Amino acid sequence: MTSHVGNPHSVPLEQVTEFLLKTLPFNTLAPSSLQDLAKQCLIDFFPKDTLIFEQDVTTVRHFYLIQQGGVRIFFKNEAGDTTLKDFRGEGEYFGAVPLIQETERANLNVETVEDTFCFLFPKEAFLHLVQTNPAVTNYYLRNMTQKLVNYAYAELRQRKVTPRTESALRLVSVPVGDILKGPAQMIAASASAQQAAIAMHAAHIGSLLVHDDNSRVIGIITDKDLRNKLVARGLDYATPVREIMTSPVQTIPSHHVCFDALLKMMTDHIHHLAVVDQETIAGVITTHDIMVLQGTAPLALFKEIVSRQTIADLYELAPKVPGIIRNLVEEGAKADNIARMITLLNDHLVEKLLTILIAELGPPPVPFCWMYMGSEGRKEQTFITDQDNAIIYRDPVTESEATAAASYFATLGKAAIEHLAACGFPLCPGDIMASNPRWRQPARSWQACFDSWTDSPDPQEIRNATIFFDFRGGFGDQELVETLRDHLARSARQKNIFLFHLAKDCLESRPPISFFRNFIVEKDGEHKNQLDFKKRGLVPFVDFARVLALKHGIKATNTIDRLRLLAEAHHIPNELHKETTAAYEFLMHLRLIHQLQMLENGETPDNFIDPGTLTDLEKQTLKEAFTVVGKMQSFLRQEFHMEQG
Amino acid sequence: MSFLSRFRSKPNPRHPVFIRNRDAFLRVAHDTPINEFEFVVFDTELTGLDLRNDEILAIGAVRIRNLQIVAGDIFNSYTAPHRSAVNAQTFIHRITPQQLENAPSLANVLPNFVDYCGQSLLVGHSVGIDIGFINRAAGQLFDGQMTNPCLDTLQLAQTYTEKCWQHYYDRYAHMLYDLDSLSRRYQLPRFARHDALQDAVQTAYLFIFLVKHLQQYGLTTLKDFYHAGQSWRNIF
Repeated sequence: MTSHVGNPHSVPLEQVTEFLLKTLPFNTLAPSSLQDLAKQCLIDFFPKDTLIFEQDVTTVRHFYLIQQGGVRIFFKNEAGDTTLKDFRGEGEYFGAVPLIQETERANLNVETVEDTFCFLFPKEAFLHLVQTNPAVTNYYLRNMTQKLVNYAYAELRQRKVTPRTESALRLVSVPVGDILKGPAQMIAASASAQQAAIAMHAAHIGSLLVHDDNSRVIGIITDKDLRNKLVARGLDYATPVREIMTSPVQTIPSHHVCFDALLKMMTDHIHHLAVVDQETIAGVITTHDIMVLQGTAPLALFKEIVSRQTIADLYELAPKVPGIIRNLVEEGAKADNIARMITLLNDHLVEKLLTILIAELGPPPVPFCWMYMGSEGRKEQTFITDQDNAIIYRDPVTESEATAAASYFATLGKAAIEHLAACGFPLCPGDIMASNPRWRQPARSWQACFDSWTDSPDPQEIRNATIFFDFRGGFGDQELVETLRDHLARSARQKNIFLFHLAKDCLESRPPISFFRNFIVEKDGEHKNQLDFKKRGLVPFVDFARVLALKHGIKATNTIDRLRLLAEAHHIPNELHKETTAAYEFLMHLRLIHQLQMLENGETPDNFIDPGTLTDLEKQTLKEAFTVVGKMQSFLRQEFHMEQG
Repeated sequence: MSFLSRFRSKPNPRHPVFIRNRDAFLRVAHDTPINEFEFVVFDTELTGLDLRNDEILAIGAVRIRNLQIVAGDIFNSYTAPHRSAVNAQTFIHRITPQQLENAPSLANVLPNFVDYCGQSLLVGHSVGIDIGFINRAAGQLFDGQMTNPCLDTLQLAQTYTEKCWQHYYDRYAHMLYDLDSLSRRYQLPRFARHDALQDAVQTAYLFIFLVKHLQQYGLTTLKDFYHAGQSWRNIF
């Protein structure tokens, strides 16, 4: 570093620029803006217990960035009672609010809790920055901004998961339109099967789109159709394509990413998807195209599940499901997508298991449906958790049918639970499983059960029953579950006392207010070095979405779906929707990575995170997420007309 | 420092900045609170500690106003030594011959430095050594000297130690008072690089740390701080 004689002011201190370069949001600035800012920096020192800002007294002329040390921020009311607002340490700031709002006087008290060095930037320099850099503006308006979250995701991926493959991200970033190899190959519906086979052979492809006389695509013919519907049935090669094609053809918009295509193929058990670009079919993608893009693991596992013939075969497959999480994380999938994928795989596993069981036991005396509760019901499962399941069956008409049903489903429930346990899904300690006669009932008993919860709510009982309200149909007769859901959606919205109790429960959880060093700072100033991520982080979001979904008759169970539907129907403000969704997705993702790390270290995944293992950015983002919890609670207080508490 | 007295008698320095400097400090308001003064915290890189034979290779400095370090107001310059034989010592200072090749001579740098310091008081760690080298050169080159009052962070650190441990006299006798040790002991932000400017900045951190802590012990005026350092020496 040389600053030439006669021009000693040309270079800002390296210490300042280097610090800014590793501090949000300054590291997003253009180098010239950063240099300009650094040149205006004043470095100040405050011994421990210095009151830097006195509420309503201190005139704020600078923006303060903590270089080293820490401060306590608190509010004092007229009676002189103080409320702790935050602890802030290295890389964090204070003074932004009075500068942005131009209130001049400090809005809060700021006191050092240890010897503290701060970088001070003049008001004008800071305001200029806020006005000219949207990233900085967003940052200080303290929203759960997408930008911040994206940084955090990128960091999580880089830091915590060392990629084993080079082409990470492609599955979740590449639109299906980009992997099309060429225009769709077509054949007329009136052409013969042999002509189709010849065309496929000539083009080295496994499928052709089928069009009618008006050039409208009406279906698809694949290798499998030729094999299963023509050769296996001994039909004539001259059979028109129309008679053996698969129709209608499943489609996907060309801008959707390959991950979506994979999900759709797995859900519908198909290998080909027509890609639609502005209402015309641009081509066809196959499972093979997706596999080339790294998505092999989920697909391969899926195929294995489908192909296994005995229950014992499934035992070894189930533990492989979490194994694909790492692949998906590496490829940049978000926790929400990963959870949906896991749900899909687990659903298929259960489906296969029940299919085999029923083949052994004989057909059920009345139609039934397997139900998932809790996180499985919300499609939010990641690593294996306790089983939460139940059985609903059609109301028996006669006494003998009732007896037969009770005994059949007792056998089925018990066997299924044991097999699932053998697959590695631990038994539910609360005994919420299909093996428990209480959770294996005909439709009308289920209705009565929900009615009793919603009609005469006992707060304690409701607390224990919340996971039931997230029920979702699995294998079996979906209509039974849909009817029950319809009934609940209709009835719950009128049960004010019940909803009030649910909402009140949401307010019980106090979000931690901050992180300081390796501790979580609670509202009463207490420091803890462990964070129950599930209870403090995720549950408030789940509870919030559930109570509002019930209140507004929304039938979805997935938290993100519920939030979206609530926003679409204008039951929650758009801003709150964006913030809650971003925060919840981030929390899920952080937990997923945490659990993945534990698993790879040979530990049993849990929900406890030591803040010391988090990066500054993660802490920052978590802190924002906790702020969102506060916002949800204020919203509920208004919505349910509850006292400020 | 008796060698200074030789120059003090010279009535007419050969460069206007030294005349201005002499006039500026004829009278210093010792009873003014310390935070009202401006300071320049500086450090030099030397070829060695021998005042007769060694030379200044670099001067780095940063200004302090309102007891805040003004990060955008720094002085940093290499100076080409007279004796071109720059020996192994230079590598200790992480100055390479290339850096000195195009550096201006001290005769060019010194007036700029004096000008940069203006009416600020000077601060340095073992400041006597640095100001000794500067004033030797000022005398040789310009028949002048810098008369800015100097505060020594090493002495302030000893005073602070005394204030903190008034009842533990036996404990602080063995403590190390070099810049690194002090920065570590007081857990100041520390900087990896060691050139004149970086050391000046490190010293500036130490200075505001010590001054603000000593203010809590009731030291207020320039005189308080000046005498604090002296009285400590009288203990031994």
